[in-house]
Amino acid sequence: MTVDSIMNRNPKTVPMTETFGGAFAILMDLRIDSLPVVDTNGIYRGMFDLEDIWELLLPRAAMLGLKSLTDLAFVSDAKEAMHQKLQDAGARPVSEFLDAQVQPVHADTPVKEAILLFYKHQGDLPVVDRASKRLLGTVSPWEILQALR
Amino acid sequence: MEHQGQVLFGWSASIVASVIFVLVYGLIISEKLNRAILALLGAGLLIIVGVLNQEAAVRGVDFNTIGLLLGMMVIVNITAKSGVFQYVAIWSAKKVNAQPMGVLTMLSVVTAVFSAFLDNVTTVLLVVPVTLLITEELKVKAYPFLIAEILSSNIGGTATLIGDPPNIMIGSAVGLAFNDFVVNLAPVVIVVEIATVLVFYFVWRKDLTTTEEAMHRVMNFNEIEAIKDWRLLKQALTVLAIVIGSFVTARITHLEPATIGLMGAAVLLLLDNFTRDAEEQSKNVHSAFAEAEWVTLIFFVGLFILVHGLEASGVIKWMAGQLLTATGGDFNMTAIAILWSSAILSAFIDNIPFVATMIPMIKAMGPTFGGDQALMPLWWALSLGACLGGNGTLIGASANLVVAGLSERAGQPIRFMAYMKSCFLLMLMSVAICHVYMLLRYLH
Amino acid sequence: MHEQSHVIFGWNASILASILFVLVYALIISEKLNRAVLALLGAGLLIIAGVLTQEAAIRGVDFNTIGLLLSMMVIVNITGKSGVFQYVAIWSAKRVNARPMGVMVMLSVVTAVFSALLDNVTTVLLVVPVTILITEELKVRAYPFLIAEILSSNIGGTATLIGDPPNIMIGSAVGLTFNDFVFNLLPVVVVVEIATVVIFAFLWRKELVTTEEARERVMSFHEREAIKDVRLLKQALFVLALVIGGFVTARLIHLEPATIGLTGAALLLLLDNFSRDAEEQSKNVHSAFAEAEWVTLIFFVGLFILVHGLEASGVIKWMAGQLLTATGGDFNMTAIAILWSSAILSAFIDNIPFVATMIPMIKAMGPAFGGDQALMPLWWALSMGACLGGNGTLIGASANLVVAGLSERAGQPIRFISYMKSCFLLMLMSVAFCHVYMLLRYLH
Repeated sequence: MTVDSIMNRNPKTVPMTETFGGAFAILMDLRIDSLPVVDTNGIYRGMFDLEDIWELLLPRAAMLGLKSLTDLAFVSDAKEAMHQKLQDAGARPVSEFLDAQVQPVHADTPVKEAILLFYKHQGDLPVVDRASKRLLGTVSPWEILQALR
Repeated sequence: MEHQGQVLFGWSASIVASVIFVLVYGLIISEKLNRAILALLGAGLLIIVGVLNQEAAVRGVDFNTIGLLLGMMVIVNITAKSGVFQYVAIWSAKKVNAQPMGVLTMLSVVTAVFSAFLDNVTTVLLVVPVTLLITEELKVKAYPFLIAEILSSNIGGTATLIGDPPNIMIGSAVGLAFNDFVVNLAPVVIVVEIATVLVFYFVWRKDLTTTEEAMHRVMNFNEIEAIKDWRLLKQALTVLAIVIGSFVTARITHLEPATIGLMGAAVLLLLDNFTRDAEEQSKNVHSAFAEAEWVTLIFFVGLFILVHGLEASGVIKWMAGQLLTATGGDFNMTAIAILWSSAILSAFIDNIPFVATMIPMIKAMGPTFGGDQALMPLWWALSLGACLGGNGTLIGASANLVVAGLSERAGQPIRFMAYMKSCFLLMLMSVAICHVYMLLRYLH
Repeated sequence: MHEQSHVIFGWNASILASILFVLVYALIISEKLNRAVLALLGAGLLIIAGVLTQEAAIRGVDFNTIGLLLSMMVIVNITGKSGVFQYVAIWSAKRVNARPMGVMVMLSVVTAVFSALLDNVTTVLLVVPVTILITEELKVRAYPFLIAEILSSNIGGTATLIGDPPNIMIGSAVGLTFNDFVFNLLPVVVVVEIATVVIFAFLWRKELVTTEEARERVMSFHEREAIKDVRLLKQALFVLALVIGGFVTARLIHLEPATIGLTGAALLLLLDNFSRDAEEQSKNVHSAFAEAEWVTLIFFVGLFILVHGLEASGVIKWMAGQLLTATGGDFNMTAIAILWSSAILSAFIDNIPFVATMIPMIKAMGPAFGGDQALMPLWWALSMGACLGGNGTLIGASANLVVAGLSERAGQPIRFISYMKSCFLLMLMSVAFCHVYMLLRYLH
C-alpha cells in the first residue's frame, strides 16, 4: 500500500502571496494544523503550520535549541504583548514563515513510512511529484486510519 | 629527539615536520576544513612519514591539559543542568531594577566571574540566552550587551588556571599552580574589566533606554523557577567548591590539575547517579562525556603531536634562537614582544595552536635568561597577550564566534567589521594596561 | 616501580592498590554503579593516596588501545549512516528466498563476519533491527535468530585484532598484528561458528516455518532503498578497505593500530565534510566523536590505571607466581588453565577488567617459560577464553545485553535462565573445540 491510494488529492492550499493573517484565519476556521503553500506553477514550497505561529509568539532565545534555556518557567507574561505580535504579523506574506523542515513524500512512498513520520510527531504530509516537485495532495493521519478501518 | 635522520624518502625530519605544520596551520586559518580533522590528519601524517613514532607522539600529548579540560567540561555541563547560572544572571539583572545600563554592567561582571571558573564558551552559552530574553523584554538592542559579554568572558578567563585553554596549557607545561595565576594575573584582569565596563558605560549610556512597563516585566521574572533541580544544585556546588579548594591547595597536596578535575567529575557523576538504575546511569554517564567539546579536545591531541614533531626535530629550538636574535637577547624586550605579538596574532588566529607553539619556544629560552624561574614574566606575558588578544576581532576566540552564531540565529547579527571597529581599540587598551602592569611589577 | 614508598598514612602501596582494585571490581560486579564512574574514581583515589603519581598513571594507560577503539567507533558510526549494513542484511535474507532457516543461517554468518571487522555491539545494533523486522513479517519467533546472532557476534569477534576489546588489548600490549590474530584464531573460529550454526539449525528446524505469502512480502523488500547516501557509502567503504589494508600490512609499514585507525577516521571525516560549511562540519565532527561509547573508553582509562597500580606495587608479579605454583610451572597446564578459567569467568563477569589484569600477569611469566616468544599460546588461550566465554550467559558480553535490551523493547524478552540453559553448554562446546585446537597446534 502506498500513499497514492489514500491521499487527499484536493487539499486546501494557499499561494506564496497569502498573508499571515489570511492563512491564520484558514487554520482557525477549519481547525486544521497545517496548510501547504504552492507557487504559481503549483510547485510545493513549504507548509504553514501551528509551529510557525508558536515561533512567532515565543522569545527568540527560547528557540535556539540550547540546553542552557530549556524552559520559560521563570519569565513573566502579558496577553496584550502576545496579541500585538499576532496583529503585527497579519499583513506579512506567509512565505516568510514557511517551515522548510517538512520534507515531502512521494506517491510511491509506503504507507508504513508515512505512519512512522506521524509517530515522530510530524504533521500532515505533503505529497509531491518526484520530478516536477508539484504538489499532488496531502496525507493526514485521519486518511490513513480511515483507509485501514 | 629520537627520529631525526630517517624520514620517508630521506627527507630531513625538521623540514617535513615544518611543512606539515605550516600546511595544517594554513588550512586551519583558511577555515575551509574543521580544525580537529586537520590536526588529527597532520598528526597521523607525521607518524606515517616517520618524523615521530606513535609512542613518541603519545608522549608529546599533554594529558594533564586534556584531562583537566575534560573534567571541567563534565562538571560544568552537569552543574549547568541545575539552572544555577541562569538564576544568578536573572537575580543580578533584578538587583539593578532592570535598568538597561545596570543590567549591562551586572551581566558583564557576572560573565567575567563565571569565565574565571568555567570555560568561556560554556559561560556565554549560559549567559547569552538570558541576555536575549531580558533585552527582548526591555525592547533594547542586544548588541552592546552581547559585545560586553564577549569581552568580559575573555577578560575574566585570563585570571585563573582554569579560565581559558592557554592558561591550562601554560600551567600544565610549566607546572604553575592555580594560585600562581590568581596572584599574578587577577590584579590586572580586574583593572582591565573595570576599564572596559566604564568605556561601555560612556559609549552606550544614551542609547540604552526603556519603558517603566518593560522594566516592570523583567522585575516580574521569578528567578527561583530557573532552578531545575535543588538536589543536583547542592551536589554540584559542593563538588565545584571542593575542586576549586583542591586547586588552591594543590601545591600542598601534591595533586595535579587533571587528577583534581577528573576526580571531581567522577564524584559528581557518582552523586548524581547512585540512586538511579543501571540503564539510566549508563545513559547519564554517556551523555555527560558525550557533551564535552570533542572537536576541541581532539584538536588539542593532534596539535600537541604536531608541535612535538617540531620540537623533536629541532625546529622549535631554532625558532626560539631566531626570536632571541630579533630581540637582541634583552629580557624586557622579549617579554614585551611576546605580550604584543601574542595579542595581535591571537586577534586573528586561534590562540590555542599559537600558545602550543610558544610554550616550548619560551622553555628553550631558559638557559639564555638564567634558568626556569627567571622565565616567569614571559609566561604571564604569553597568557595576557593570548587571552586578551582574542577580544580584538570576532574570530579571535571561540566564545566570540559562539555569541555571534547565537545572536545571528536570534535575528541580531554581529558583523565582523562593526565588531572590530569598536573592539580592536578596546583590546589594544587592555594590552596597554598589561604592558604598564608588567613594567611596574616584573620588568626593571 | 618508582613511587612505592610515599603512600598516604605510611600504608603499604601493594595492599592499598589491592584493596582499591578489589573494591572497584566488587562494585562493578554488583552493577549498582556505573563502571566508568567507578573505575575513574578508583584511579583518582590511587593517585590521591600516592600509590601512583599522575604521570605514572598516564604512562599506565594504553593509548594504543584507546585510540584504536575510538577510531573504529568513529569509522563504524559514520559507515553505519550510509545504510550499507542493512543493505547486506536484507540482501542476504533474500538470497535464501526468505526461508526462515536460511535467513537464520545467513544472518548468523553476516553477524560473525561483521563482528570480525566491527565492534560487536555496533554489529548487533545494525543487524538486530533488520532481524526483528524480517521475523515480524515472516511471523516467526525472533528468539532463535537473536540468540544465534549473539553467539555469532562473540564468535566472529574472536577472529581478528579489531573484533573484540580483549584482542585489541592483547594485541596492543604484546605487539601482535592483525595478521597474527587471523592466522592463529581464524581457523578455530570458523569451526566453532559452523558447529554453532549447525546445532541451531537442528534444534529449531521444526519451529522455523512460515507461509508462502509472508516470504513473498520479505522478498519484495527494496534493499536498494536501505542505502541512504551513496556518496558516503563509497567513501566509507574506501576508508574501511584502506584501514584494513593498513592493519594487514602493519608489520611492513611499521605503523601501530591506533595510528592507522585514527588517520583513517580523520580521512573519512575529511571526505564526508569537505564540501560542507564550517558550522555543519563542526556539528558533524562533534557528533562523530560524541557518539563513540565514552562509558567504555573512560572505563578503559580508569581500569588501565588501576591495573598499573597493581603492577607498580608488585601485586601482579606475586599473583603470576601464585598461578605458576598452582599449575606446577607446567606450560601446557598453564595454557589450558588460562583457557578454561577465562571462559568460565568471562561468562559471569566483564571480560575487559579480567583481560586487563591477566595481561601483565602473563607477561610476568615470560622468564619462567623461556622468553616472550614462548608465551604466544598463552595469549591465544586468553583471547579465545575471554571472547568465547562471553557467550555463556546473558550478562557475559555487552553485545548480549544490548540484544536483550532491544528484544525486550520489541516485546520478545530473552530471559537470563532460558538463555543460559541453551547457551552455556554451547559455550562449553566451543571452548572444548579450542582446547582440542590448542592441543593439536600449540601444546605438545
